[in-house]
Order: sequence, then C-alpha cells, then structure tokens
Amino acid sequence: MKNTMKNPAVYWAFVLPSLALYFLFFIYTLLTSVGYGFTDWNALEPARYTGLANFRQAFADSDFWVAVKNNLYFILFSVFLQVPLILFFSLLISGVKRLQGLYKTTVFMPSILSTSIIGILWGFLYHPNDGLFNKVLELFGAEPIMWLGDTKWAMVSILITNAWQWMGFYIVLILAAIISLPKEINEAAAIDGASGFQRAARITVPLIMPIISVVIMLSIAGAMRVVDIVLVMTNGGPAGATEVMASYMVNQGTRYGEYGYAMALSILIFAIALLLTALYQITFARKIERIDY
Amino acid sequence: MPAAIRKTVPHVILLAYVAVILIPFVIVVFSSLKESNAEVAAHPLGFPKELFFDNYVKAWKQAKINVYFFNSLYISLSASVAGVLLAAATAFALTRMKFARTSKWIYQFVLIGMLIPGNVLFISQYILIKDLHLLDSPWALLLPYTAGAIPFSVLLISAFMRSVPAELEEAAIVDGLSSPGLFFRIILPLTLPALVTVFIINYLGNWNEYLLSNFFISTDRLKTLPTGMVGFRDAYQTNYPLICTGIVFSVLPVLVLYAFLQQKIIEGLTAGSVKG
Repeated sequence: MKNTMKNPAVYWAFVLPSLALYFLFFIYTLLTSVGYGFTDWNALEPARYTGLANFRQAFADSDFWVAVKNNLYFILFSVFLQVPLILFFSLLISGVKRLQGLYKTTVFMPSILSTSIIGILWGFLYHPNDGLFNKVLELFGAEPIMWLGDTKWAMVSILITNAWQWMGFYIVLILAAIISLPKEINEAAAIDGASGFQRAARITVPLIMPIISVVIMLSIAGAMRVVDIVLVMTNGGPAGATEVMASYMVNQGTRYGEYGYAMALSILIFAIALLLTALYQITFARKIERIDY
Repeated sequence: MPAAIRKTVPHVILLAYVAVILIPFVIVVFSSLKESNAEVAAHPLGFPKELFFDNYVKAWKQAKINVYFFNSLYISLSASVAGVLLAAATAFALTRMKFARTSKWIYQFVLIGMLIPGNVLFISQYILIKDLHLLDSPWALLLPYTAGAIPFSVLLISAFMRSVPAELEEAAIVDGLSSPGLFFRIILPLTLPALVTVFIINYLGNWNEYLLSNFFISTDRLKTLPTGMVGFRDAYQTNYPLICTGIVFSVLPVLVLYAFLQQKIIEGLTAGSVKG
C-alpha cells in the first residue's frame, strides 16, 4: 500500500530537475572557477596552466588591495556605525506604542527595492549642480561637493546610500527579537526603579545579544557581497576609489577578458569571506554565547 | 511635563528617520511631474507648479520603459514560479518519500549552495551561459534565477513539509492517491503559505537583480528594469523629470505589492536571511 512512496521513478522525477539545475549553476561553476583559477585564459584561446601565478599576481596587484580595503570600509562602517544606530532605533521603536507599525513598515521599505534603482535615485540626490545635498549646502553658503566625483567623498557617499537601503531591514530583525522578550523582566526592573536607559543597557541588550551577533554576521556577509551599488553609482571610479572586490573581479573578466585571473579573484573572495566568518565566530560570537545566560 | 517630553522625544527622532527615508521618494515623485530641469533644480522639494503627466507617457512608450517593465515581469514571474515548483517537488521527495539515506545525502549536497556567497560564481556562470549559447536571450536570466533560488527554497519548503502529519498522508494513500497525486492534491495546498513566502522572496530578488542581467543581456529590448533603467539614466542624463519618471515606474509595482503584503514580505525576507 505504501509502495507509491517508494516508487523510484517518481522520486527521481521530482528530484532530478532541481538537482540538475543546482549542479550546473552551483557545483559545476564552482569547479570551473577553481579549475580556471590556476590558468591564464581569455575565453578565446585554450587555457594555459600557470599554477599559482594568478594568486601571486593578486597579492601584488595594488588595485585589488584598494578594493579589499574598500570592502573593509564597508565592514567597519556597518559594524561600528550602522549596528549601534540600528540598535538605537530598534530600542526606540520597541518603546513607543503609537505609530509602531508605521515606523516598522517605512524603515523596512528601502530594502525591498532594487539596489540599481536606489543607486540611480541617490545619484540624482548627489548631483553636483542640482542635487538635494548641494542645494542644502548652498543654502548654508557652503561650497558644493562633488559627492561621487571626488575621491575623498565618493566612498562615503556610497556607504551612506548603502546604510539608507539596509538599516531598516536589520532594525526590523532586532525589533522582532525585542518584542518577543517576556515583558515581566522589564516590568520588574521598572518597579525596582531602573530608568529606561538602564533597562535597555542592562536587560534588553544583553538578552538580544544573539540576534545582534546575527546582524553583525549578516552585515559582514553583505559587505563582502556588495557590488551592484558600486557598478551603478560610480563603476569603481573616480580613479578606482570606490572599487570593491566583486566589482574588480567582474571588470577583470567582462571588461579586460582576463577570465583566468577573474576566477582566481573569485576564489580569493570566497576564501576571505570564509576566513572572516570563521574569525568572527571564534573571537566574538563564542563570547556572546557565553554571556547569554 | 517631563513625562510628556519623554514620550514625544522618541517620536520626534523616529519621525526624522521616516522623513529621511521618504524625502528621496517625495523628490522623485514631484520631479517626475515637473515640466523642466529648471523647475526641478529651482526647488527639488517644491510641489510642481502644474501636474505635468507627459513625462509618464513619454517614458513609458518613447523611452521603452514598458519593454523593460514587461521583460522584468515575465522573467521574474516565470523564474520564481518554476523555482518554487521545482523546489517543492524536490522537498516533497526528500522529506516525505521513503528514500531516507539518499535523501539525506542530496539534502546535504544542496545545502553546500547556501555557503557560497552570491556573485562569487558570477564569472563562471557567465562562461557557462556563453558555452550554452544562451547569452543575450531570456534564458540567460531564467535559468540562473531559477537555479539560484533552489538551495534556499528547498531548505525552507522542506522544513515546512516535515511538519505535515503523517496520518494525513497515510489516509490519502489508503484512499488510493499515488505519490504525485498526494503531492499535487494534498501537500501543495497544505504548504501554500510557505510556498507563497518563498515565491515572494524569489520574485523580489529576481525583479531587483542587476549583476547578471547587466552582463548576460546586451540587446536593449531584452533588458530588465534595473539594467534598462541604468541605460535610460545614461541616455537621458540631462532630463531630470524623465529619469524620475523612470524611477517611479520601477519602484511603484514593488511598493504596491508591499502595501498589500507587507507583513508577509517582512516575515519572509527576515526569515530568509536568518534561515532558522
């Protein structure tokens, strides 16, 4: 009677189509990345095995290191500026009764929009002559700034746009954790005379440390992945000032036809991402787990 | 008095944040209804002198936003529907059918996909699509979008299908349903909420996708909104109202969807990122 659940023809008919697609686009491509990463290949002539030459080239490639540094800026900016702000705003939202739904819905909204459209929209706000920011500066009599055209400002401008897009997403994540905490703890503390700030700092934040840790992890992962916003807003410019690892890799492949080198870079990016994740898990995440009662 | 202040201060701060989120949209909507650059430049935040709807007609037809729009629509829709159905079928076979050991291996194998950060495989996927001679065709996006959703969708749908009680399944089989019948008539309807969540996540991801569609498609009439809009911006750089109209066209469908399904979307996307 249960034979129909043991029918191998049905089983494989259900499993194979996804498995084939998955294999082709994840496993096969991963293997080709690793394979071609050790070759000199322009996708026209046959690949030539060059051993570790691509990796040596990457370590000596100062442009790539600028890109690595910019990814690092993304990480530092998200972890040390965005996360505290995210925490601050989620505590504020969790504390109000009225309009809570409105705040939550509004701050979350940018994270469902296309990064490329947001890049266009903010490019408009950053416009050197007629953008909002320079209009405001003009109002105060300040000199206009070439937001995306000045090597000093371009990176900051992109970081701000990125924060604008993603902060609400994390706020909602943390907010959900705060709201699901049992109310009794906070009420007891309030009766004992703890101020709102004390309750937030001594009770709520320690209790939601695990989800804060998740948010930090996701921010690091997001910072490693970032590429669309750079391609749309500056395409790595001016003079490579905003190039990130992924945009550098993409350009090496699609613009210069250095496919072997680009694949070696993609392996490096993967390795750096794994390394950072492991490093974070070992140094901080574990400690957080221990504090967590 | 102090109590009243203590209650107002958070709202003042939060409303300021809400303003920071909304002002760019207000500027875009106002600018899209203005007649000229001069009017936009004079007061970015000023209400348009008279509502100038010509930009919408012009952007839609003349600037081919309608083409990008429908490309985005059918590619995102078909890839997400295909992804959900394939993943649901796989999840059903893995969690409900009696091939426990094989299923365990396949499941672990699919999970590897979750470890690989997005865009790391971009270059080799580009080569793959090129070798399949699919560059510059809708398939260049349909296939990777569908495939890209599989690991996460299988994971989420499997978790949901495991919770369907075995009695239900047994009763259906006693009543004479075959395993495909069970899948289509019992399990799919029962797991519909999870399927909708996965569909929404995939749909938004596809609708917003930029990297692949920028490099896998070069013919203008095959482009999707995110890439078409970038080309549009570069072509009409000096026409602010028209660019803003384009932005409105690309953002509006997502916002309408969000207005109706915000709870579902927020739940789905946050659950998707934390993944249990």
